[in-house]
Amino acid sequence: MEMFTTIGLNHFLTISAILFALGMFAVMTRKNAIVILMGVELILNAANINFLTFSKFNGGMIGVMFSLFVIVLAAAEAAVALAIVINIFKTFKTVDVSSVDTMKE
Amino acid sequence: MMHSLIQLSIVVLLLPLLSFVVLIFFNRRLPRMGDFVGIGMLGTAFAIALYIFWNVIVQHYDPAFRVAWDFTWLDLGNVPGVGPLTVKMGIVIDNLTAIMLAMVTLISLLVHVYSTGYMQGEPKYGRFFAYLGIFTFSMLGIVLSDNLFSIYMFWELVGLSSYLLIGFYFYKDSAADAQKKAFLANRVGDIGMWLGILILYSQFHTFGYQEIYHNIAAGKFTLSNGWLTAAGILLFMGCVGKSAQFPLHVWLPDAMEGPTPVSALIHAATMVAAGVYFVGRIFVILTPDALHVIAFIGAVTAFMSATIAITQHDIKRVLAYSTVSQLGYMVLGLGVGAYSAALFHLLTHAFFKACLFLGSGAIIHAMHHEQDMRWMGGLRKKMPWTFATFSIATLALAGLPLTSGFMSKDAILAGALAFATVEGGGIYYLIPVLGFFSAMLTAFYMGRQVWLVFFGESRTHLKPVEEHGFDNHSNGNHGDDHDAHDGHGHDDHAHDDHGHHHEVHEVGWNMRLPLVVLSCLSIFAVFSPDPLDGGKGWFMHLVPTPATVISSAAVAHPSESVVHAVAGRLYAEAPNDSEHAAAAAAAPAGEEHGPVYTDARQAEIAHLTHKNHFTAIYLSSAMVATGILLALVFYVFGVIDPDKTAQAIRPLYLYSFNKWYWDEIYDATVIKGSMLISKMLAWFDANIIDGIVNGIATIFRKVAFANGSFDKYVVDGLVNFTAFFVQTSGAVLRKTQTGKVQTYLVMVTVAVLGYFAFYLVQLMK
Repeated sequence: MEMFTTIGLNHFLTISAILFALGMFAVMTRKNAIVILMGVELILNAANINFLTFSKFNGGMIGVMFSLFVIVLAAAEAAVALAIVINIFKTFKTVDVSSVDTMKE
Repeated sequence: MMHSLIQLSIVVLLLPLLSFVVLIFFNRRLPRMGDFVGIGMLGTAFAIALYIFWNVIVQHYDPAFRVAWDFTWLDLGNVPGVGPLTVKMGIVIDNLTAIMLAMVTLISLLVHVYSTGYMQGEPKYGRFFAYLGIFTFSMLGIVLSDNLFSIYMFWELVGLSSYLLIGFYFYKDSAADAQKKAFLANRVGDIGMWLGILILYSQFHTFGYQEIYHNIAAGKFTLSNGWLTAAGILLFMGCVGKSAQFPLHVWLPDAMEGPTPVSALIHAATMVAAGVYFVGRIFVILTPDALHVIAFIGAVTAFMSATIAITQHDIKRVLAYSTVSQLGYMVLGLGVGAYSAALFHLLTHAFFKACLFLGSGAIIHAMHHEQDMRWMGGLRKKMPWTFATFSIATLALAGLPLTSGFMSKDAILAGALAFATVEGGGIYYLIPVLGFFSAMLTAFYMGRQVWLVFFGESRTHLKPVEEHGFDNHSNGNHGDDHDAHDGHGHDDHAHDDHGHHHEVHEVGWNMRLPLVVLSCLSIFAVFSPDPLDGGKGWFMHLVPTPATVISSAAVAHPSESVVHAVAGRLYAEAPNDSEHAAAAAAAPAGEEHGPVYTDARQAEIAHLTHKNHFTAIYLSSAMVATGILLALVFYVFGVIDPDKTAQAIRPLYLYSFNKWYWDEIYDATVIKGSMLISKMLAWFDANIIDGIVNGIATIFRKVAFANGSFDKYVVDGLVNFTAFFVQTSGAVLRKTQTGKVQTYLVMVTVAVLGYFAFYLVQLMK
């Protein structure tokens, strides 16, 4: 129990921040579009952890509700994003985002 | 309501203008090039003028007859500092006007008729009649004007028509030069005339003769008498130009380049008389000083041109110098105060000189445009009509008794004698002496001309071939080398049959009729019942010398024997009442008809003129007889050979033959001088004015280049720099647009982190 009591708000937020940073890192550095999507999922989940943490420490169910929305939206987002990835593949014959740069200049 | 005579005179004035307008535009579309239009219009005008003449001269027979009408032509309103200014136009008909109207229209009509013969076959026949029309219009305008302004306008119109007619053969250089010379010489005189008009206008603000007379008589001329004299002399300058007086006489002989009918109409009878007429109009405002100048100029002109006329070869040139000489007589007459006599001479001279010119035209026509008297001769039998009329006119010009010229010339000379006496002799006797001497010379040169042209044998065959085309007499100056041979009878000359291709015939009736009419008008009976005294005739009665309006008190006069009478009055008829006893005392000849003058000087001249009448007759007859005798001795009896005489007095002969070298003198002074001034002005123009202009242009060019550089480097530089800056920035910023979402994401992250860092730094402060 003591273990639990020693685990406070900052621990959760730290976990969340690490998770966010990992997700961000994945999004910024990976070339594969699928991996970038996975990074996005990590970011979303980092946000979810924040919601739940603040919900638990604040009391009330608003944070829980938001995290449920985020999960649902993440599912929708993943569907849309995968559709885009499929289209990108159809157009460019690759899912390497570094070669998808026709918008430059 | 206008007087009916005024209305008629306007019709007379406008008919020739109508003839001009019709003929100048339509002469090619009319049959006979429209000469009948000119003759018809002039005939009508003459008929009306004759009616006016009959009405005024015969019916009224009143020396004081005068009808006038005027209207305000320009109203300049109330000019600041001057007062109300108006310019009036009007018509005056007095005896002189009526006589001049009839004279001008008659001679113009006769010249029209004559020209149908003389100008026949001319390509510009119709235009000739048109020009005659506008000339007649302008001349009638001068005659009818009642003010200085309109007379000046018509004066210039006359100058224009003279210019057009002298240069009728403008394709000949000599004619083109002559017309320019005439125009320019007239212009010199007209400038003076205009200045004189302005002096009077500046004083009285009116151009009307009558107003000016009254104002001067009332003593309203505020400037000194010197100004009045100056005005008189300046106005007289107009006459000097138009009437070819010394020193502007040079144009008239050259004007003989025009067709001969023109010479008769313009350069003998009417236009040149306009100057005399004008001086007659302003006669009453001329001061004694101005009259002296006029008298001397007239005398010098009369004498000088008479001496020139005796050596000229060209038939028209002799007549031209004779005209100048006779005009000198008229001017002399006006100058000495013999007003009536001068205008009388104007009238008589118009008839006989027109007759002489038309006669010479007939001769030239018959001789196929031969004008040199040396190659004429023996025409008496071939042209009896011309011979008869020419002789009558010659006698009138020479001044033989029973002719009109005798009466008028004698009256002028009597006036000149009286003038010299009144002025106290001395140098003033030069005037009658020159007058009498000119009378002798006139008789001499006219005798010479008649003999050379009409008597003896035909000398046509003597004309050297190389002188063909010599009738272009503008280079007559250089012809004196040939005249030593004339009359020497080169019968064995190789080209003795030269000139016999055409026979000489009498001219047609249309050229004879004017000669007959004009020679009839040269007989004494037309003008006076007494062949010895023109003073008994109608002219001297109807055109009496008007009394001067210059008050005698203002004029210092040397004569002691004069009885001073009341000044400022106009003239009175022969005095019956005692009031004019004083004036009558000054004029014991007052038993004669005619006016009596209140001005002492005028009264004495009038008196002495009557007294000198017979002296003048004897003297002038003696001079004329001498002249004719000389001509007979030289040319008919052959007692003295004219050529040997000419050789004996060669310098004098050449002096006369070369017209006193006036053309050369003018060439050396006025023409060279104005050329020099022109060249100086041209230099000034080319170097100074153009220099200034070019300098300004250079400055502007420099400024413009500086301005251009500023535009090019500063303004354009700024614009280009802006473009360059934007371009460069774009090139730099373009690098950040990689098109890779991840790059953008990195930037977003960096930006957000940066923001937070900034926020934290702020927070920590």
